[in-house]
Amino acid sequence: MQRLLHSSAPLWASLDKAMLGKLRKKTGYTFSNCKKALEVCGNDIAKAEEWLHEQAKALGWAKANKLEGRATAQGLVGVASDSSCVAMVEVNCETDFVARNKTFRSLVERVAAACLNHGKTLPQDNLTKSFLSADQLKTVPCGKEGGPLADHVALAIGSVGENLSLRRCALLQAPPRSAVHLSGYTHPAENSLGVGPVLCGRYGALVAFKATLDSAPKTQILGRQLCQHIVGMCPERIGDPEKDSPNPDTDSESVLIFQEFLLDVNQTVGNVLEEHDASILDFVRFECGEAC
Amino acid sequence: MATLNIIRACSVPVFRHSLKKLLIGREPFILSHTGANTLCKRASPTVTFQRFYAVATEKKVFQRDKPHCNVGTIGHVDHGKTTLTAAITKVLSDKELAKAKAYADIDNAPEEKARGITINVAHIEYSTDSRHYGHTDCPGHADYIKNMITGTSQMDGAILVVAATDGAMPQTREHLLLAKQIGINHMVVFINKVDAADQEMVELVEMEIRELLTEMGYDGDNLPIVKGSALCALEGKNPEIGSEAVMKLLEAVDTSIPTPIRELDKPFMMPVEGVYSIPGRGTVVTGRLERGTLKKGQDAEFVGHNKVIKSTVTGVEMFHQILEEAHAGDQVGALVRGVKREDVKRGMILCKPGTLKFVDNVEGQVYVLTKEEGGRSRPFMSFAQMQMFSKTWDMPIRVQIPDKEMIMPGEDARLQIQLFKPMVLEQGQRFTIRDGSTTLGTGVITKVLPKLSEVERSLLTEGKKAREKYLASQKEKQEKKK
Repeated sequence: MQRLLHSSAPLWASLDKAMLGKLRKKTGYTFSNCKKALEVCGNDIAKAEEWLHEQAKALGWAKANKLEGRATAQGLVGVASDSSCVAMVEVNCETDFVARNKTFRSLVERVAAACLNHGKTLPQDNLTKSFLSADQLKTVPCGKEGGPLADHVALAIGSVGENLSLRRCALLQAPPRSAVHLSGYTHPAENSLGVGPVLCGRYGALVAFKATLDSAPKTQILGRQLCQHIVGMCPERIGDPEKDSPNPDTDSESVLIFQEFLLDVNQTVGNVLEEHDASILDFVRFECGEAC
Repeated sequence: MATLNIIRACSVPVFRHSLKKLLIGREPFILSHTGANTLCKRASPTVTFQRFYAVATEKKVFQRDKPHCNVGTIGHVDHGKTTLTAAITKVLSDKELAKAKAYADIDNAPEEKARGITINVAHIEYSTDSRHYGHTDCPGHADYIKNMITGTSQMDGAILVVAATDGAMPQTREHLLLAKQIGINHMVVFINKVDAADQEMVELVEMEIRELLTEMGYDGDNLPIVKGSALCALEGKNPEIGSEAVMKLLEAVDTSIPTPIRELDKPFMMPVEGVYSIPGRGTVVTGRLERGTLKKGQDAEFVGHNKVIKSTVTGVEMFHQILEEAHAGDQVGALVRGVKREDVKRGMILCKPGTLKFVDNVEGQVYVLTKEEGGRSRPFMSFAQMQMFSKTWDMPIRVQIPDKEMIMPGEDARLQIQLFKPMVLEQGQRFTIRDGSTTLGTGVITKVLPKLSEVERSLLTEGKKAREKYLASQKEKQEKKK
């Protein structure tokens, strides 16, 4: 069979093309790489596929090194949460087209989920707020798929062909069985792709608060609304009603408890907290691309 | 004296210009395009000044001998959009149809401010033998959207650039979604970097791109696809895949992207700015004729404020002189028959009967200004009430945000807008929304929605409680039906 094919050049070329097309469709790697794979593996499509998967990491790293240093000003903020820990990460890319793409979004979701898992392994006796730097983030192990996050980023770079970077991560941990509630939110709150309960958006907020509401859903709603307020109104600090005084210009108020509540301008955040017998212990706000 | 000088400086060029228009030919002083048109209107004093001074510095005079068309490039950052744009200008400059632009001049799209909005956009112009082109290149999705909203150069067609070495990227899907969103119906594909790929690869990339285009709702099977190497064209190597491919691409753009209809050729339309009663003559309405031509004896209609009034134009004047035919772009006064001054209000539109409708429920794409751009620092949410300004009218509206919970300053979003009273609005019309004295954002109408029912209309002004009660009762009704 092979000899037959080799004997006629045009037929051989068309077979080559069909295989190249098939391999590209199946794996999604670039045409150049698919072609290289076929050449290396002597036109064995199964072997070529294996080779591509093996090489993907190396190819991704090669691409990542090539693109290193290119500005990444776009991206997404991802939030992963469970009852004892919430994690918020920012991953950057070059254009907002990629930020809207599924490949990138799923990377952000994996990074957020990995950070949440990482956070849960840390000791937690008190309410703690911690940050991971870009370099620390690279070594965080990625849950199911294994390997450090840096490898996953390199793979994604190989796929979308843009420079990507892990920027920062914030973690809030609550001691187990305490009255402290944690909540996380992103804006826009896009639907998760199904890699755990992860939200992705351009803005994100985490909040830790104490509240004694009669039902769990009510507490959740309050947490979500507080996060939404923090995203929308960008407070600088929580503030203490005994020490601080409200800014006479309500529009430039930067103390959280004196700000007009985003969802009801007739109340301040302080009023809302009082009404629910709640208090805010800590919060973090990320805006994609902002200077930190 | 100083005041006098200013008045002179302002009025002379304007007057001269109009006079010239009256004397020589009927070439209208408008670009053939809505977007550019709006820009012209907004910036008209500056434009006239520039033109006035331009003569002194011997700036080149724009020759309007070819129809104008706006195109843009979209594609992955490394697939050679900028190189292609530079190559187009280089190849055309050899034929003296463009000024060659270097890669660096186009790259890093400069920041521009249009209608108060900051956009990163590179505008380049060139001509082929048959048309004059404005070429837009933006770095991101948001910039193309802002470009669409401000209408600085509404793209009539796009060139999608794909490298033969990579094929379509995962985000090419997002590029095509954007093209759909900003209303681009005509597309030409350029497969770049064919010098670095072999024939089979190029054919496969073509197949793949056609498939993707079809999937995204374009006519993938018949769209023109041109293969070449922008780099070769730029460096003047391998003409068969270099400069010749670029010429082939431009030919495809010339033939497959239709020239937009000029404002002048559309049915006439004039937003009413002022209404006057002139003893012995009747009612005169003034305004700027935005589209078409207007002359004595034409049947006309006033539309807006929930009313339609039929009438006939019995005279057209400009600068207190009788005008035989007013053209789009002219500031005119029209004498109308059988209409009382009290009947017509500023904000109504004088148009050819049956061409415009008043509506009260529309969908638009808006960009919300950041504080630095003059907007608010806080976001806004569904059911907010604000004031909408478009043409010469303004009207209270209520907005709903279908895709998000709120819109932050600096974001763009789809918005459903309900007007308190039906006004003339059509697809592509631009508007501004304001709250008190601050401008919140600006947008463009993307869709006209079905008219509001009586109940919906009455709910517009009601508070949150009444609205929720109504929605709950509707839900109940539906469940009962089931």
